[in-house]
Amino acid sequence: MPASFDAREFLAGFLVEAAEHLVSANQNLLAVEAMLQKGQPHPRAVRDLYRSLHTIKGLASMVGIEPIVDISHAMEAVLRAADRGGGRLAPGMVDVLLKGTRAIEEAVGALEHGRPLAPAPATLLDALALLPAQAPQAAPSSEETFTLDPALRSKLGLADKEQITQGLLAGRHVWRADFVPSPQRAAEGITITTVREAVGRIAEIVKVIPIQRQSAPGIAFALLVVTDADVMAIAQAVHADAEQVVPVVQTAPPPGPEPLGAAEVERVGTIRVEVTRLDDALDKLSALVVTRYRLERATADLAARGADVRALAFVVQENGRQLRHLRAAITRARMISVADMLQRVPLLVRGLAQQTHKQVTLDLQVGRAELDKGVADRIFPAVVHLLRNAVDHALESAAERTAAGKPEAGVLRVSAHEHGTSQLELRVTDDGRGIDRDKVATRAGRPVPHSDEALLELICLPGLSTMDTTTTTSGRGMGMDIIRRITVDQLGGELSVKSVAGAGTTFTLRVPLTVTIIDAFLFMSGNQRFAVPVASVEEIVDLEGARIASWPRPGSSTGVQTRILDRGGTAVPLLALQSVFRLPPDGAGRRAILVRRNGELIAYEVDRMLGQQEVVVRPLEDPLVRRAGLSGATDIGDGKPTLVVDLIGLGGSLLEAEA
Amino acid sequence: MSALYVAFRVSDAEYVLPAAQVTQMESFNGATPVPGVPPWVTGLIHVRGQVIPVVDVRLRFGLPHLTPLLESRVVVVQHGTRSVGLLVDTAREVLKLAPDAFVPAPELVVRTTRGFVKAVIQAQNRLLLLIDVERIIGWEDVHGNQRQERV
Amino acid sequence: MTEILVVDDSKVMREMVVACLRALPSSEFAHAGSGLEAIEKLSLKRCDLVVLDLNMPDIGGIEVVEFIRGQDTLKDLPILVVTTRGDDTSRALALGAGASRFMTKPFTPEGLLVEVRALLDLPGL
Repeated sequence: MPASFDAREFLAGFLVEAAEHLVSANQNLLAVEAMLQKGQPHPRAVRDLYRSLHTIKGLASMVGIEPIVDISHAMEAVLRAADRGGGRLAPGMVDVLLKGTRAIEEAVGALEHGRPLAPAPATLLDALALLPAQAPQAAPSSEETFTLDPALRSKLGLADKEQITQGLLAGRHVWRADFVPSPQRAAEGITITTVREAVGRIAEIVKVIPIQRQSAPGIAFALLVVTDADVMAIAQAVHADAEQVVPVVQTAPPPGPEPLGAAEVERVGTIRVEVTRLDDALDKLSALVVTRYRLERATADLAARGADVRALAFVVQENGRQLRHLRAAITRARMISVADMLQRVPLLVRGLAQQTHKQVTLDLQVGRAELDKGVADRIFPAVVHLLRNAVDHALESAAERTAAGKPEAGVLRVSAHEHGTSQLELRVTDDGRGIDRDKVATRAGRPVPHSDEALLELICLPGLSTMDTTTTTSGRGMGMDIIRRITVDQLGGELSVKSVAGAGTTFTLRVPLTVTIIDAFLFMSGNQRFAVPVASVEEIVDLEGARIASWPRPGSSTGVQTRILDRGGTAVPLLALQSVFRLPPDGAGRRAILVRRNGELIAYEVDRMLGQQEVVVRPLEDPLVRRAGLSGATDIGDGKPTLVVDLIGLGGSLLEAEA
Repeated sequence: MSALYVAFRVSDAEYVLPAAQVTQMESFNGATPVPGVPPWVTGLIHVRGQVIPVVDVRLRFGLPHLTPLLESRVVVVQHGTRSVGLLVDTAREVLKLAPDAFVPAPELVVRTTRGFVKAVIQAQNRLLLLIDVERIIGWEDVHGNQRQERV
Repeated sequence: MTEILVVDDSKVMREMVVACLRALPSSEFAHAGSGLEAIEKLSLKRCDLVVLDLNMPDIGGIEVVEFIRGQDTLKDLPILVVTTRGDDTSRALALGAGASRFMTKPFTPEGLLVEVRALLDLPGL
């Protein structure tokens, strides 16, 4: 059997990795730009950018996505030239490269949502092709001023040496600490990878250099680090004795220009800037994928021996499809860090500032909280809208600000920290002109609000806008009413505002860190809308023309029928949901939802199906409304709770239901 | 020594409850019915990010059902960890009353209100009935499986 | 049992390589997500073939090849390096450092199998 390679199987994994590389690329581009403004190169960031685009190109070529190959190839050429030129990019190159990452992101987004893929834009490719000619020449390298074993020193690049020099000049420690691997250590989970992570938490790793050793296992890893931590901490992290950790020190006074403080040199060296932790589940999923290949191979062997493998092959194929769905579900359910969620904010604010011709300083403070990807996906657009509003409406022009005694650049502060144990508190603060209460009140035809709560009510009225002229950036952005709907109604969080005229405004959003999100079918029964988890539904059957046998139920006084649905030869009890729920009768039911309880099928007749969507499920906690058959309630966008039914759990109690 | 009380009307009687137990007062825009609950549980509503049940106080008191009007209000009360909305005819006033001016409700009142009223007070020429929130939101009725209370 | 070490910082890429090689009889696959991890695994466990991506962070594929060839016990370990089309310099450097054969991305399963079988001295398809 010829080896076949279905690139589509790997598409999902490719999209995840490409997205991670793009995140890091954007951050590196911003870091390069920041250094550019100081007239400095950023060799490490440029090197990492080159590598990221090179990797994206390779992966895209394997999975067969030409537009991404073309764009990344063009970007890679620019970055290779810049890397050779000592890590310098000319001003203006960053903008074009950001357009490049944007174009790749759009292609990734199209693939994720099954939309058709456009070829790489010719204008972008042309612009990228013109760039390498402009790359400026490298500045002469600085003198080496520290002690280090020559064998190791020869392995260091320019950026590495600069990092060590600058670390020493800033008064920090530079250590060389060796880690020796062994089978015992590997068995305990102590590997070079975990040691790197441990050291990375307390130090900046300049480089890890493999070295030969006489005694077993014949190798060791020399870690060169810059840190404020002491020798004991470093020794512990590499599982060595303190005496074996060697300091690296200065040998001569520093010549030349002022050293940069450690804080100003952005360290974005590792390819995944924020260790995007994929669940243990995704790792296990990879193992399942490998097992599936073995299964395919075994099936092929059987076929080669003349066995009829059609049924088996079908099952294996189905299994493959299920694994793909499983990967999607796990990816959707994973937690992401707040830092990951907000990593686009610097780029976004940069763009907003450019579009509005304002100067904006962004202060981003994120804690270490992690939240459900589902929550993050829903709340992030709200944050984006608040930022748009702040830059567009709240921040004044440079002239106005100077006249008001404020610094020219507007200050935008975005913070995200855990609040208690189960909530995330997001704050968007600006030091702009504040919300004009009188203006808003007049617009709304309401009395002037005095309290912050009243002000919030006012600005959350649908369709309210205080701008006289069309805004530069907002356009069709969402209104405050939708922000409240998402934060408060859908996610069960809190929204508040504080605004002082002339001084600024702060919006505070509190959202739960985790929520239950499921794929649900929506349907009507008894003139009421319900949701049922897709995962619990075996099948949805059209009752028109279906074979149904019915006879009066014994002992029933109101003539309620017992009905059986013939589904391909199986007799399935058919119950009208509206009578189970004692709902008012509606039109004759057209559809039946089939679920399996303890191996047995049950069919529930409903009025009609309305569609499918992802919903946030809020549990019903009050004893008054806790009932078998009800999983919770959700807000599907119309403000009123929609019940989420558990048709499987309902099956037990309904047999007691009387006519 | 006086405390604040929220006053509401149901039919032609006036009731009060400590303002400290009231977290919100909202107008009523309909509730999502919940199958299998007592008839005096109107359904679920969204209030400030929470999904809470609404108790129709009229039905709870054994009065005939009335289609909610514009003035109808949902008084959201907090009892322990529970948050429940009370649907009443109107709720407009907050009164300052002296807690020790309350006297136990007369026998007749207790019987006709089935224990939902625990005390009465005369204030400003009005007779105000102090409700037992815990009893109204039916805590003791809702142990384990359903026990439907026929109106 | 043929032990094959697949080295690439992209998990998807590693999965694709394993998928391409699944027609190989009696093969076990080990994974390394970095050159450092690869060196560590090679020092601790026997390996019959390394499939190595040249484009990796921290320690590039070429350094890995150099290091492997510098180890007495690994002098003859077959190394198949993977490069991207157009990266002639890296390919030349890798072969110069002692890599056995090379593949360029994108590659097909058949292409990869041919190279691997050649390195393992297995009869061809």
